[in-house]
Amino acid sequence: MSGIDPARELTHDEVVEMGGAFVLGALGAADAAGVRSHLSTCTEDHSEIAELGGVLPVLAESVPTVEPPAGLKARIMAAAAAEAAAEVPGAATVAPAAVAPVGGAMPAEPTPFPTADERTMRRDRSSPLSWALRIAAVVAIVALGASTLLLRNQLNDAQAYQQAVTAVIDAAGQPGALTAVLTADGDTGTGLAAVTPDGQVTLAMQDLAPTSGATVYTAWVIGGDGVPVDIGSFNVGRGGTASFSATGVPATSGIVLALTRETGPGATAPTLPIISKGVATAAG
Amino acid sequence: MLVRLADGELDALEDLYDRYKTMAYSIAYRITNDTTLAEDVVQEAFLGAWRNAARYVEGRGSVKTWLLSIVHHRAIDAVRRRRPTTELPDVELPPPAALTLPDVWAEVAVGLDAATVRGALATLSDVQREAIELAYFGGLTQQEIAERTATPLGTVKSRMRLGLLAMRRYLEGGSP
Repeated sequence: MSGIDPARELTHDEVVEMGGAFVLGALGAADAAGVRSHLSTCTEDHSEIAELGGVLPVLAESVPTVEPPAGLKARIMAAAAAEAAAEVPGAATVAPAAVAPVGGAMPAEPTPFPTADERTMRRDRSSPLSWALRIAAVVAIVALGASTLLLRNQLNDAQAYQQAVTAVIDAAGQPGALTAVLTADGDTGTGLAAVTPDGQVTLAMQDLAPTSGATVYTAWVIGGDGVPVDIGSFNVGRGGTASFSATGVPATSGIVLALTRETGPGATAPTLPIISKGVATAAG
Repeated sequence: MLVRLADGELDALEDLYDRYKTMAYSIAYRITNDTTLAEDVVQEAFLGAWRNAARYVEGRGSVKTWLLSIVHHRAIDAVRRRRPTTELPDVELPPPAALTLPDVWAEVAVGLDAATVRGALATLSDVQREAIELAYFGGLTQQEIAERTATPLGTVKSRMRLGLLAMRRYLEGGSP
C-alpha cells in the first residue's frame, strides 16, 4: 500500500513520485493498477517513467553469470514438443479428462525432444513418397474411427456439463444463495455459478478452449475493493466443459466472478483478456 | 525469430534458448538463490515467450529485453510466493501505452558493456542501491522496503526514482 486512499484516483504528481517503484515492480496491486489507470487517461508528459524503465537492462547486466544445468534445454524442448503435439488435432495423444484437477496425477515423462541435428537427419531420410504414404494411412485410420469417437465424446461432454449445471442449481437452491451467469468476453466460455452463504462457489462452464501444458483457467472473485482474488484453477479438456468449486468466497451480492487463462496455477493477478465473467446476485 | 516463434516453431524456441539461456538463468538464480526454482522459472519463461510471441508488441523493447523481463517477473513471482504477502502487483501486463518510446529498453540494452554497467551502478548512493536492489532482485514492494529499512515510504519512493534517474543520466552521457 502507498498510504494513499485506494478509492480515489492518483494525481499526476503522485504517479511521477511512484515511477521508480512502478518500473521496478515494487508497487502493490492497488497502486500498480492506479498508476496504469492514470497513465491510460492522463494527457500530461510521463516520459520520465519510460526513461526509468530504460535503465532496467543495466540491472540485468550486472548479475554474475551462472550457466544453466545441461539438462534444462532438453526439459524445455520436451515440454514444448509435448504441448505442440497436444494441440494437433488427431495427434496420437491421450485426451485429458473433461476436467482434470490441478495438481493431480503427474503426467508421463515426455519423450526427449530430438536435437536439431537429429531433426535434420529425420527430414533428410523422409522422401516425399514415404510422407504421402504416411499421410494416406493416417487419413484412412482417422476416417474409420472418427465418427464413432466424435459421437461418444460429444455425449460424454454433454453429460459432464449437465452434471455440472445440476450441481450449480442445487447450490443456488440454498436460502441466501447468489447466482451468476457468466458470459464470454471474447468468443468462447459461458456458464453458470452459484455462491452459497457459507462461501462456497460452484461453477459450470462450457465452450471453453482446451488447456494444454501448464496452462490453466483461473477463477477470480472481485469484491467491492476491486481487487481480484484467485479462488482456484482448473484444466479443460477437448470437450470444453468444466465443473469447478471453491470455498472462501464472500456471499455478497454484486461480487464479480471472472475467468482468465494463466500460464500456471497460483497467478497473483489476472492475465488479460478476461475469458468470461458475471455478477453474482440474489438467486431469488 | 519472432515470426517463427509466433508460428510455434520449436526450432525458434531452441534458437531463443541457445542465445539467451545464460543471462536468463543468471537473473533467475540471482533472484531466487535456488537452482531448482531458477530452472523452473527459466523453463516457464521460455515456454511463456514461445506461447505468447504473437502478443509481443513491436516497439515495446527488443526480444532480449522482452524475454528477460518475463524471466525477471516470473522469478520475482516465485520468490514472493515463498513468503506471506497480502497484495502483489500484476507482473505480466505489458507496459502501458503511455510508456511506449521508440524502444523502451533496447536503446539502453544495445552496447552495454561491463564498464558502462559498473559506471551506471556507481552513480547510486548506498541507500539508493539498497532500495533498488531490494525491489529488483528481492521482489520487495516499496512498503516492505520501507518497513525493512525503517525508512519513511516517501523516502523509499524518492530513492528508487532518483537512483534510476541518476543511472539514466549516466547512460545518456551526462553527469549523474
